[in-house]
Amino acid sequence: MILLILEARAVLLRFFQKFQMVLTPLVKFFIAFITFHAINGSIGHEPHLMKLPAELVLSFIGTFAPAVILVLLAALVSLAHIYTASPILAILVALLMLILYCFIARFSGKYGYVVLLMPIMFILKLPYVVPLILGLVATPLTIIPMACGVLVYRMFVIIKAAAEMEVSMGINDILEMYIDVIDRFVADKQAIVLIGVFSVIMIVMYLVRKLNIDYVFEISIAAGTIAGILGFLFGDMYLHTQFDITGMVFGMVGAMALALIFQFFRMALEYSAVERVQFEDDDYYYYVKAVPKIKLAVPVRKVKRISEGADPEPENPEDGMVDFSPEPATTSKAERELTEEERYALGEELPDESLLEEFPSEQDENG
Amino acid sequence: MVNNRKVRLMTRLAIYEKNEGREDIRLSKYYRADYVRLNVLRTVVAITIGYLLVVLIIGVYNSEYLIREAVTLDYRSILVRYVGAYLLLLTVYCALCMIGYMVKYRNSRKKLTKYFRMLRRLRSIYREESGELPTGEEMDTDDSINS
Repeated sequence: MILLILEARAVLLRFFQKFQMVLTPLVKFFIAFITFHAINGSIGHEPHLMKLPAELVLSFIGTFAPAVILVLLAALVSLAHIYTASPILAILVALLMLILYCFIARFSGKYGYVVLLMPIMFILKLPYVVPLILGLVATPLTIIPMACGVLVYRMFVIIKAAAEMEVSMGINDILEMYIDVIDRFVADKQAIVLIGVFSVIMIVMYLVRKLNIDYVFEISIAAGTIAGILGFLFGDMYLHTQFDITGMVFGMVGAMALALIFQFFRMALEYSAVERVQFEDDDYYYYVKAVPKIKLAVPVRKVKRISEGADPEPENPEDGMVDFSPEPATTSKAERELTEEERYALGEELPDESLLEEFPSEQDENG
Repeated sequence: MVNNRKVRLMTRLAIYEKNEGREDIRLSKYYRADYVRLNVLRTVVAITIGYLLVVLIIGVYNSEYLIREAVTLDYRSILVRYVGAYLLLLTVYCALCMIGYMVKYRNSRKKLTKYFRMLRRLRSIYREESGELPTGEEMDTDDSINS
């Protein structure tokens, strides 16, 4: 069973590597489309932007533009929707977005897209996955874009409620609505709890991840999940936020499952074959624990077609054999070298010996 | 004939240049002090704009009160309070930024050192190919860039 899953993993990874050129833009398009569709679904007011062609065009731009442009486009589309509902609210949202950018978002660096990802995952009802995965791959510095994303989401929840209760536009009504929105935004306990608990999850996962134990990533995910559930329970107890506790627990467990799947595809480690070595050089004494990554050769499936009158040993293999393997089964020396190059080109770290091998004469010539 | 060693090295270099290297190389054009100063300056501008916007929002929020009490307000103490808060915020942000950007600069330099080491290896391969023996200087793996 385990072997079957690992084989499936190998096949899938190979498939992705092979069709990376096509799949990467496709995935990006898909993400962009979900983004714009989710925005339209949750705060859609501007009819022109809600049409499918508009969504497709925006997603197309988002596919080929850098992540920053996608975030910017999403912000502009949201503003356009809010502007149609209420120009005053749109100005307020623009101001709040600018403040968020000046104080927090500009420090998010290469994880800036998390600001967008967080609200989208909230809309897709999968918010707990984000801290679990960030805790797995990133440093606690990503708390910054995460917090920003939570604030953006909560802001839109509040704005959405305000836009729906929009009344006649007297100057007093506008001011009242403005004060109401600001009041709710400042006193938003849910945002405080969400940011607090998500930060705790990420810090706990980061600390656990640095430990020198077997199955450290899986343990880290479990620790993050437990920290999250406890955090939400305590938060709810002390701040009396009206969280749906059952939904939260199920959500956290589901997120844990997704994070485990993510980890499985990111890295499958073979803890039964851990190598522990000790050695020294002039400056240090090294205790090295090397955990091998599980690598399976993709199984080669051959379908032999047996039909009447067929030549038992066809000269041309295509006549009688259908080869479903992605590459020919033979592994000549030249081919093996090519795959190594491919691995290299895909950015995989080769062991340092390979670099040393490149310069066997380095020491001799220096010496 | 394709030289595998060279292709490997060039692939590595290209991958680095394409991703994080672009930022590192851009960053390497600054001295550390200049880089940190520039970014602290940017932060000062961003914080000032952000703070002004916050003050604007608070002002509109309290506009009724402000108009009602316009004559009796203690403008001096309000000014002192807001300017004080601004200066405090600015100090905290600048200090954090200074540390953050210094660390970033140092990390980027480390990566750049590795990059230059690989470049040097590549150059020695070219020399080998053209029949010259690599000089000791090229094979040296010193961190001159780190200075």
